[in-house]
Amino acid sequence: MKPTFRTNALRIRRLLAAPVAVLIAAGYFFAGVPHGEAAKKIDVVTTTQDLASIATMIGGDRVRVESLSKGYQDPHFVDAKPSYLLKLRKAALYVQVGRDLEAGWAPGLLNNARNSKIRPGGPGFVDASNGVKILEQGGRVGREMGDVHPLGNPHYWLDPENGLVIAANIRDALFRNDPAGRASYQGRYEQFERQLRSRLDAWRSRAKALGLNGMNVVTYHRSWPYAAKAFGFDVKDYVEPRPGVPPSPKHIQGLTRMMKDENVRLLILEPYFDPKLPAQIAKNAGAALVVLPPSVGAVPEAKDYFSLFDAQLALLQKALAAGGRS
Amino acid sequence: MDAFQLLLWPLLACIAIAGIHAYLGFHVVERGVIFVDLALAQVAALGATVGFLVGHDLHSPSSGWFSIAAVVVGAGLLAVLKADRRRIPQEAFIGIVYAVAAATAILIVDRTPEGAEHIKFMFVGNLLAASPDEVARLAILYAAIGILHFLWRKPFFAISRGETGAMGRTEVRLWDFLFYLTFGLVVTQSVAVAGVLLVFSYLIVPSVVAMLLADGARVRLAIGWIVGVLVSVAGMIASYHFDLPTGATVVTTFGVALALALAYRAVVPRGAEGGGETRRAGRT
Repeated sequence: MKPTFRTNALRIRRLLAAPVAVLIAAGYFFAGVPHGEAAKKIDVVTTTQDLASIATMIGGDRVRVESLSKGYQDPHFVDAKPSYLLKLRKAALYVQVGRDLEAGWAPGLLNNARNSKIRPGGPGFVDASNGVKILEQGGRVGREMGDVHPLGNPHYWLDPENGLVIAANIRDALFRNDPAGRASYQGRYEQFERQLRSRLDAWRSRAKALGLNGMNVVTYHRSWPYAAKAFGFDVKDYVEPRPGVPPSPKHIQGLTRMMKDENVRLLILEPYFDPKLPAQIAKNAGAALVVLPPSVGAVPEAKDYFSLFDAQLALLQKALAAGGRS
Repeated sequence: MDAFQLLLWPLLACIAIAGIHAYLGFHVVERGVIFVDLALAQVAALGATVGFLVGHDLHSPSSGWFSIAAVVVGAGLLAVLKADRRRIPQEAFIGIVYAVAAATAILIVDRTPEGAEHIKFMFVGNLLAASPDEVARLAILYAAIGILHFLWRKPFFAISRGETGAMGRTEVRLWDFLFYLTFGLVVTQSVAVAGVLLVFSYLIVPSVVAMLLADGARVRLAIGWIVGVLVSVAGMIASYHFDLPTGATVVTTFGVALALALAYRAVVPRGAEGGGETRRAGRT
């Protein structure tokens, strides 16, 4: 027996009542959201907490800084929330790491935020990598030759010296967008530079004391070439043969042998990868496994751009004291 | 109206996706090929990966052609592999196609310098980034395929209901091929915008809710569409209100919708409503 047309029509009408009610409620809900008042402070939105920390140090009281991703998240993959769009909508400045780090999620959000100021080419768009000496960069040819990302390795904030370039990029953007604050921004930039330089000396001597200079290490992902450059260690190989591809048994075998032959004492891992396999490799090769925070906010101690490096060096010290061969 | 403006295009994308998937879900559930969308999405990704290996960027138009070619092959495979349905369930083949396509993609990615990150992007989707262009593209494609399905409704519905008596084996395979091909094209586009989890939910949940509430094909389709649109709106509001990742929120809202339907069914048993629902009043 088939349902008659009449009962169908009745049922459909009944079924339609609920959706109409919900739609009306939705209308009230959205209409009831208050308009964002034009704030006196300059709204700065960054993609990562590292950039947010530097922007706070340069902007001081004149800015309100928010980071979209959190330091414990893999910045390649960020689950977007509606508030990201709202933040981008009212932002005067948008600061990104660039070099395709956020390519999977940020460009679409920028488009949908309907804020022409912060789109690429707008006065509020800041690619913090401008002027940074990018490593592992190559064009089309480089890609075919080997393991090169066309826009280069994007983890440049892990060399404190690049922090200065980031800070200068943010300062210049603030000059453009808030000329009245020029003196304040310049003063804060100079203060940042002085602090960073004096701390950099301290970090370098600490790294030297730990024996990091010239030390052979293996890393999981390719996040650390800039840190290697800053602190003098030498990345011999990676656990991941290609980003995102699990290693083959042969690769693990070769890696372990190489680690023994080359006296690799450290295996550095990012906190968002599974430590099981790296731990095993480190154990077999007699190296110490250390999970290093790659960003501000990845561990509680890494509160800002300066304490990030303090935290990294403290963890390295602990790992070297506890394990590995002498 | 700020929030409404910002979420307008993502919401329209959801509604477009609901429109075609609630319909396709009807067929998919009837045929018992629940995971076919995952398999075909994976096959499309494999195609894009091959394109990537020979030097086409994953988001370029030429890469799209690699995906489409792969979907054609995948649809052909699924149509042919149906032959032995009585002994080996179709879901077994679908699972195998999924696993082998996913694994092959990893093997291919191993040969490319950039690794698997870009492949992962293909499955994550980013609803909040849906642009007017994308929504328009989805709407046009879905409408075109909707029209094809309307024209070919007789064979498609007959096969979905298992009423293939009048058709020859080759004929069934041809219609199956066309079904999986159009299905694959839809799913590939939706997954790129909304991600695998969300597309799966849009496909299956409205259809299952409708089955719980009604019997006739038309009523079920109507219920499926209403559920799809309602859940889209409710999920968006919840995502905004509680500031949660949008895709995951909509998927969870689908779970809530199903729970509500089950609760309704528990309170009002089948057949108690009278009318046309007596056919399946399974209280034997």
